[in-house]
Amino acid sequence: MPRTTLKPPSLSFQPRSTYPYSPGAMAGGMIWTAGQVAWNSRAEIVGPGDPAAQTQQALKNIGAILAEGGAGFEDIVRCKVYLTDFRYFDAARAAYEAFFLGAPPAVTIVHALLADPEMLVEIEAVAFKP
Amino acid sequence: MAYPLTKFPLECVTMPRDPVNPKDFAYASDGGFPLSPGAAAGDWLFLSGCVPVDGSGGVVGGTDVAAQTEQVLANLVTVLAARGGSLDDVIKCNVYLADIRTFQAMNDVFASHFPNDPPARTTVEARLADSRWLVEIEAVAYLGKG
Repeated sequence: MPRTTLKPPSLSFQPRSTYPYSPGAMAGGMIWTAGQVAWNSRAEIVGPGDPAAQTQQALKNIGAILAEGGAGFEDIVRCKVYLTDFRYFDAARAAYEAFFLGAPPAVTIVHALLADPEMLVEIEAVAFKP
Repeated sequence: MAYPLTKFPLECVTMPRDPVNPKDFAYASDGGFPLSPGAAAGDWLFLSGCVPVDGSGGVVGGTDVAAQTEQVLANLVTVLAARGGSLDDVIKCNVYLADIRTFQAMNDVFASHFPNDPPARTTVEARLADSRWLVEIEAVAYLGKG
């Protein structure tokens, strides 16, 4: 079956040859986002060296993808957070928390290196919106 | 102190998973790790991380990430096909690279298999279970009609 992909206007530079995937895809009442980094609509990293700002922008991008599929942060069931350095944990946590007041989703946070050294934080989400 | 196994709800271990085991998938049953190549639930199919090995479990592609990625994707296709699916049904991939500097080499092969409206994807660097494996890809697919 052809995939239903989600490409919000703010992430219209994807897919491209260096990042050959869609921002999100939707099927069967579930929305899966690609790992989001702190790209703005011009594919520039927002907040170089600033893990809080990058966390915020990555989550804004997730919000745009979910909105494209008619969902919101309240529909997220799980996030995965990748940090290039665990010293960013507190900053990322504070920025993340602001998006999930009330009952936050399940989450996994690990240390991992990302595609570009400028990227300090990457976050992916899966949401349920039947 | 012993873990209180008797208090563990029994239904958790007897839940009827629907495992997907393609024939000729030797590495999945070589005693290395207890896994099913895929597990189905409703219209969803969750695939194990596929690695660059052939049917006998031998590593394919040497130290060439592009060749390894080809084999990994071929293995994903095998698991999908076991339930009548294909790469067209993949919604999300997670790619693990032993060295993130091989990102573009992996990308080029990945893109060639997903020429239109590719799935969502996340790629990170992580150490893999066998040092000869340079790339591992897991996938979630939707096999429903709509």
